[in-house]
Order: sequence, then structure tokens, then C-alpha cells
Amino acid sequence: MMLGAIETGRILMAAALMAGAGVVLGAVIGAIARIFRVEGDSRVDLVTELLPGANCGGCGKAGCRDFAKSVVSGENPPGKCPVSTREQVGAIALALGVEVGEVAHKKAVVRCSGTLFTSDRVAYYNGIHKCSSAMLVGGGPKVCRYGCLGMGDCARKCPFGAIEIINNLAVVHEELCVGCGSCAAVCPRGVIAIVPAAAHVHVFCNSPEKGAQKRKVCRSACLGCGKCVRKDPEKFELEAGLARVKYSAPELPTAETVEAVGCPTGALAMTERHRQKASEETNAK
Amino acid sequence: MKYLELTVGAALVYNFVLSRFLGICPFLGVSKRLDTAMGMSGAVIFVMTLASGTTALVYRHLLRFTFRGKAYDLGFLQILLFILIIAALVQLIEIVLQKSSPKLYQALGIYLPLITTNCAVLGAATINAQNGRTVLDATIFGCFSGVGFALALLLFASLREKLELASPPKAMEGTPIALVTAGILAMAFSGFAGLC
Amino acid sequence: MTFEGGIHPADSGKVLTDNRPTLTPPVLERYQVLLCENVGKPPKPVVNVGDQVGKYQLIAAADGFVSANLHSPTSGKVVKIGDVPGPMGIPAPAIEIEADGEDASAETFPGLAGWRDADPKELVKRLADCGLVGMGGASFPTHVKLSPPPDKKVDTLILNGAECEPFLTADHRLMLERPRDVITGAEIMARILGVDDVNIGIEINKRDAIESLETLAEGTKVKIIPLMVRYPQGSEKHLIQAIAGREVPSGGLPADAGCVVQNVATAAACTDAVLRGLPLVERIVTVTGEIVCRPGNWKLKIGTPLLEALRLAGGVTEEPGKIIFGGPMMGFAQRSLEVPISKNTSGILLLTREEALRHRSTSCIRCGRCVQGCPMHLASCLLATAIENGRWDLALQNHVMDCIECGSCAYVCPAHRPLVQLMRSAKMELRKKR
Repeated sequence: MMLGAIETGRILMAAALMAGAGVVLGAVIGAIARIFRVEGDSRVDLVTELLPGANCGGCGKAGCRDFAKSVVSGENPPGKCPVSTREQVGAIALALGVEVGEVAHKKAVVRCSGTLFTSDRVAYYNGIHKCSSAMLVGGGPKVCRYGCLGMGDCARKCPFGAIEIINNLAVVHEELCVGCGSCAAVCPRGVIAIVPAAAHVHVFCNSPEKGAQKRKVCRSACLGCGKCVRKDPEKFELEAGLARVKYSAPELPTAETVEAVGCPTGALAMTERHRQKASEETNAK
Repeated sequence: MKYLELTVGAALVYNFVLSRFLGICPFLGVSKRLDTAMGMSGAVIFVMTLASGTTALVYRHLLRFTFRGKAYDLGFLQILLFILIIAALVQLIEIVLQKSSPKLYQALGIYLPLITTNCAVLGAATINAQNGRTVLDATIFGCFSGVGFALALLLFASLREKLELASPPKAMEGTPIALVTAGILAMAFSGFAGLC
Repeated sequence: MTFEGGIHPADSGKVLTDNRPTLTPPVLERYQVLLCENVGKPPKPVVNVGDQVGKYQLIAAADGFVSANLHSPTSGKVVKIGDVPGPMGIPAPAIEIEADGEDASAETFPGLAGWRDADPKELVKRLADCGLVGMGGASFPTHVKLSPPPDKKVDTLILNGAECEPFLTADHRLMLERPRDVITGAEIMARILGVDDVNIGIEINKRDAIESLETLAEGTKVKIIPLMVRYPQGSEKHLIQAIAGREVPSGGLPADAGCVVQNVATAAACTDAVLRGLPLVERIVTVTGEIVCRPGNWKLKIGTPLLEALRLAGGVTEEPGKIIFGGPMMGFAQRSLEVPISKNTSGILLLTREEALRHRSTSCIRCGRCVQGCPMHLASCLLATAIENGRWDLALQNHVMDCIECGSCAYVCPAHRPLVQLMRSAKMELRKKR
């Protein structure tokens, strides 16, 4: 087959047509783009890309994009994101040319140890299986007004699946929790506290009532006996009938501290031991 | 009769999504919420009308012409040129939308440029070319195909909003039940067959 | 005369106490008078621990306009001002009085025999002084209700004698035993509001009350309106619809429809306050239930503990499944026997375990009974689905805030869905967001 005059002409025409169309359309698009220019900060998109994208709200902003905006504007340091790994924070800081910033890693702890077996109920609750709904019915089925209701509002809210309901008690899995605070916000009893991530020993009770009253309705409550405070006043404090770990103290309690104190009800415990105890089905009545 | 086919036929009987099964990507992607679906519908109708019009114009007058006495038939450039024009059109819309309605722009996100590679728009243009329609007829066909697409999209979006509140078996939640619903909707639309 | 919607709950309960005349119990040892059981700000205590108080003496003064005075139900000594188990399940502040058994009156107000010509403002002040609150359940301070804002023109007064809740007969007995006081109370309220259209709505299952009141109402402005038996006829909005033929706008108050609605017990208390100068310290309470030994109606002083009320009724024949303050439709289940009654406790109902144990809820079958039954024309099934999925926006759109929590939907639902609880949780969430 030979390329005749018409053939070459045809090919040239086709090429010319396509080129022409491309140039014309390109020019039109360019012109429109110039007229309809939108001022935007591409850095916000860049930072949003680098963030984990969990949209958990742990930084205090409404989602990762919002946080990215605040980082670009200088309102927050990149380290404020509790979910980002060190590498991610470093990458963001590098991209923007800012400081990493101090980040105090926190986590959540459900300060109650009243399971189905250790804490009494006042009545059989037959309504919607939600803590907030149960509160509407006479304040909830547990006799203790301050303890965990165990119907899972926090577990459902946790964006990282870090809370497990064991025998009607919510227990936080430390390794999964990032301290975003969503659970604490949704708990109608205010049982969940956001504490420093380095703390592994807590007093798992939330009721400020008198020890004798608490003992009648819950076998694992803190009696407010003060043993821990007397043993180690630097690390613990007593408020009404409830002992608390001093989280702002220079030294946090350890496994040895718990051993040395010997809490009579076991309300003072390591998180690991607390989780084990919650799974026990003994009725220590 | 011809106009019946161009309007009702394009919108209902030969619905692009539910009968021809073109443009499924935006159909499934943007139909989670009614307000984004409405935005997308508007964009698609606009693109399809304009695209059908310009591609018909180009096909009838630009791809077959006489230059310096020689007749050239560059019909083989149909697909290339159509895609070029459609891409440019969608790009224009994207730019205008970003300025005029940033919220809608953000909501549609990736789906706006996806209209470009959307077979529905190219399909409409190609079908027009195949049937050798005049520019006016092609534009009408494009417009009403877009209307049909919008109808299917809005119906499906409303259904999906309701599906969100329902509780199907765990394995069916989300996309599976949506696809089943789309299938039933397609079956429903097949009832229009024979209308024209 | 009636309204649209509504249901007919099985009411074999009223016969238990229908024809038992109201009895007055002896003075008990302790009374725990709740402070914050009325709508608005709780009153501030004006006595201290250790003070001697007489019956009818002021023990807590209203704090602001929307607040009600509180008076001692008997003579004795104030022994505690603190928290006691409350009727809503949470501890509530109360003034505990140890009775000395004398039941001696402190100084009361002078009777206003010439009330027909008295200044309405003076009459309203008397009602406020006597601590009157709505005794139909809402506990709204009466002097506030009878002082509608000047931009709302009120031309109709309606008294609620419907007592639509099953099992309760307190209002019925009141109308039979103190008909003259009810009529006078209506007239006093009419004088305060300056209206000529006065109606008392009574369901036709209380024929004797209708007849007795009709005889006494002759010659007065008061009209007795027999109403068809339907729940919740006693609701404000539905009395207005049935009697005045007007609809209260969504989110509005009865005053928006030009009406004021009061309970007949409040009217009788009104008469006590104006004619006899007596503050409100007691009310008729129906203590009832299949398992109660001697169901009946008692004139209980406010602050009577639940346990004492049950003792008066002779105790129970078996362990109760549920103890309710109020009626079975809108009452509140109690979690402690130490809870005291207050001015709005119309009944104490004991249910057996079988009656109380609700069936497990299953899926909605779209039968539409809830839509048919809802007196506020809400689509309960739709609202329930939206609420379950946390779609508060959808719930708000479908008027969940108009729900009066009457329980009609939950009563008729064949799937036993906890509809009222869902509505309440939605209202709670939406109020938090406001």
C-alpha cells in the first residue's frame, strides 16, 4: 500500500484538526480558569492527606480537614493530633516548616468495677439497651448512681473500637485507645476519665458516697478507707468517700505500689488486672 | 412521533442508567444523599445537553468537510474528538462550580471529573452520531437522556436514604442491598417498554 | 364531643376504687416535703433544721415568678433539709418534718368571702401565696397559668374532669364529694381571667359526677360538658380540641388558642385558698392495683412516704412487679419505697410481675396502629426508626417535640416497641442541642 496524496492529506488534516481543537479548547479553559479563579490554600489539602483521616475529633476540631486548616493557620501544632504517629507528625511539620509541638498522649479509663456480679441492680430494666435511654427510666437500673451502666454507649461511639463491655461493665483496651475523648463526652454517668497515657494504675470507682453505704450495694467499690493515701500520700488523695490517683504527681503508681497498698476491695488496681477481674463470674456475696 | 422517541424514549423507555446500564459509577457513587444527588443531576443534564449538541455539530460539519476542493471524511476521529470535547466541557463546569458553589464542589468531589469518563455522556454522543441526527435533535436527545439519568439518580437517592434507616441482614448492609434495589428499579423501568 | 386519634386502653381498673369514698388517714410520724417537684425554679427554704412549724406554715418561698410556695403539711419540727429518693429516680431535695401528732394549724390567710367583686390581681396573689400548682400532673404554678401574657387573648376556661388514665379515680371522688368547691373554683378562676366561657369536661363514664355538678352549675356561668371516653382526653390540647374546637399550634401553648386548662383538683384547692385561706398541703390519691389489699382513695398530706401510703391500703397480697406514681399510661415507675408523694401525685398503682413484664420488642411491621392512635398526628413508627439511627434532624423535622408522651403508640404497638422511651431520648438530645 502506498501513501497517496489523499492519504497524507487525510492524516495531516486529522492531525491538524485534533491539534486545532486542543489549542482552541485549551485556550477557552485557560481563559475561564483565569476569570473564575478561586483563592485556596493547597497546603490544607496537603496536610489533610498526611493526617490519619480518622475524623475522631480528638484534636478538638470537627474532623481532619478542620484540623489541617488550623495547623496551616498556625492555631495548632501538628502534634495536637493524638492519633498521628511520630512519623506522620514529623512529615506534616516538615511540609509546612513548623515545629512539631508538645503532645501529651492521653487515654481513657472507665472508673468503675461494678459488673453484673459485683454490683446490685434495683430493678429489671426492659427498655432500650442504651445508657442514655436507661438514665431516663428512674436514673438507670443500677443501685449505685455513679457507676457504669454497661449498655455500651461508649463502646459504640469509640472510633477505634477500644472499649469492650465485659459482664455489663465497660472496659477500655489501653493499647487501642488514643484519648480522643469521644467516649467521655457521651457517657451519661461521667464515669470515663481522660488521663495521661503513662498511668496504668487507677481507682476503679466513681461514687463519692460513704464507704458503708457503697459496700451494701457493690462488692468492688472503693470504701474510702484511706489505706492507699496513708501508704503513699504523694500518689493518692482522698475526696469524701473516694480515693483517687494523683495524675499530676511526678511519679505515678506502679504494680509494686498496688501490691504494697493491698486495697481491701481491689478497687485500686492495674488496668490489666482490672480487666481480668471484670471477666470473672464469681458472685463474691 | 420522532419527538416522542427523543423525549419520553430517551428519558424513560431507554433510560441511560436503568435500561442501557451506562453511567453506573455516578449513579451508585453520588446517590447516598438526596442533596448531592440533586447537584449531580443538574451537572449531568447540563453536560449531556451541551455535549450532545457540540459533538453533533462537530460530527456533522467538522468531521466531513471540503478543503481546497478535496473532500475529507475524518469520521474515524469521532471517539477521540468527542472525548476531548466532553473532557473540556466538564473541566469548564468544574472551574465554574468551584467558584460559584464551593460546597457542592466539595460534596461532588471526585465524581465531577468522573462524568468525563462516564460512558453515559459519550454514549449519548455516539448514539446520536450512529443515528445521524441533526444538531437540534441530538441536543434534545441529550437533554432528555440527562433528565432520565437525573430521574433515576434522584429516585435511587431517595430510596437509599430510606435504606439507611432500615436494618437488613449484616451481610447485605450498604452496597449489596443498594445494588439489589437498583436491580429492582431497573426491572420497574422495563415496564415502560413498548411506549414508543 | 371528642378529638381525633387516641385509643381505648382496657380499663377494668377503675372499678377497684370507683365507689370507695375518700378516707383521711391519721397523722404519720414523718413527712418529707419535696422542694423541686414543680415546673420552674424550686422554692428556697425559709426554715432551718430544728425549727418548730405549724400546719400550713410557709416552709419554702417561691424563687421568682415561675415558682411556687411550699407549706408544711402538719405541725412538728424540721429535722432535715437534704436529699431524699425522688419520684424521678434521682435524689431530690426535701424538707423533712417530724410530726408531733397535734396537727395544729399555724396562722392561715383570711377568707375572701367577697371574691366575686375582688380585684383579680388580689385573687391571683392569694393563689400564689397558697402555693397552688397544677394538680393534674404537670405541677405548673397556677398563678402563672392564670396570668397569661397580655398579647395572648384568653376567652375560654376549661377544667379537666376527664381523668382518662385507667385505674385512677381521685378526681372522680373529688367531684362527687366536693362538687360545690369545684364549681366555685371554676368561677374564681373565671373571675381572675375575666372570661365568660367556663367549661368542665367530664368523661361519660362518670355519670354521677356529671349529674351532681350539672345540678350545682345551674345559674352559674359554668357549663358541664360530657366527653366521650377516650385516652388521652385529659390532655390540655385535646380538651381544647374537643370542647372549644380549636387546635393549639405546634410548639404552642393553650393560651395561643385562647384557652386556659386547669385540673378540677386545682379548682377545689383554689376554693380552699380563696374562701378559707388554706394553703395547699394535701390531695386525694388513689392507691390501687390488683394486688393491693384495700385499694381506695386517700386524702394524703404532701410528703407522705410511699411505704406509709401502702400501709394505709393494708399492704399487698404478693410481691409487686412495678410501683407507679400516676397512672399506667404516663406514670413513673419508682425504684425506692421511701419516695414521698407531692402535689401532683394523683395515684399510686401497683402492678403484678406479669402485668409489668413487657414483651421483648421486635421489628416494626408498619401496621400503622401507632399513626392511627397518636393524638398529636405524629408518625411514631417513622420517628422511632429515625431516632434509633440517631437521625435527630429527621426526628425534629417530623415534629418529635410535639409528642406529649401519652403512651398511646406504645400501648397499641403489636411489636411492643419502646416508642415513648425513644421519643423521650430524642427530646432530651434535641433539648441539649438547643
